[in-house]
Amino acid sequence: MPVPFESFVPFGVMTAMFLATATGIRFAQTKRNEGKAVRYSLDDWERKMMARDHQLTGTMRGQVDDVIAPPQFKVNSSWKVYESLRNDFA
Amino acid sequence: MVNPGYRHFKGEDWVDPTPPPASLPHVDEIGSTSAPLKSASFHIGSVCKEYNEDFMLCKNESRDPSHCLQEGRKVTRCAISVLDKIEKECLEEFRAHWQCLDAKNQELGKCRGPEKTYNACVFKAFGWTKNIPGAPTNKPQIHERTPLTQ
Repeated sequence: MPVPFESFVPFGVMTAMFLATATGIRFAQTKRNEGKAVRYSLDDWERKMMARDHQLTGTMRGQVDDVIAPPQFKVNSSWKVYESLRNDFA
Repeated sequence: MVNPGYRHFKGEDWVDPTPPPASLPHVDEIGSTSAPLKSASFHIGSVCKEYNEDFMLCKNESRDPSHCLQEGRKVTRCAISVLDKIEKECLEEFRAHWQCLDAKNQELGKCRGPEKTYNACVFKAFGWTKNIPGAPTNKPQIHERTPLTQ
């Protein structure tokens, strides 16, 4: 008796939907983290360090290893102005 | 450096109108982000131990920011000197280690390979060893453990 191939089409559709969801989530996470893996189990210390990284490099996942910060780091006031900007822990 | 601001008035141009008084000595700020600092953390802790302890005891007395400015300046200068030395002698190993940490959620246990070469380089250049304070002394430290099945 021949195999009922029409009944496999819905299974194929379901698998394709799973793959599409996984691809979309992976694309969104990679874009948000500049190609690096997502950071997990973050406590307050880590979030505040990421906010400091954001101030030094412009993104939450950027890293630099200069010894001395640029002079603007000390005198800039924009992070004092808005509490919501400083606590931007996305 | 990127700062929030408006399109017509960028955050880079915002200068604090109430800076610290000019009577305070100038101290540079550390320019490293979190991963390099975590990588150098044990060496900073062992070299700058007295300054860090001074600062913590001072903060214990009072949380007022103006109370501990001098101890804070010493801590910053010591950390800057340690980072400066590490970057002069062991830059490649240091970079390899913190880039590995950056890719692994900044967990030290996932980057033992680069850490071995980095610790060896730092020991050869300055004689500093990585020592975890408060670890039990009757067994090897966690970063020096060797697998049982080899």
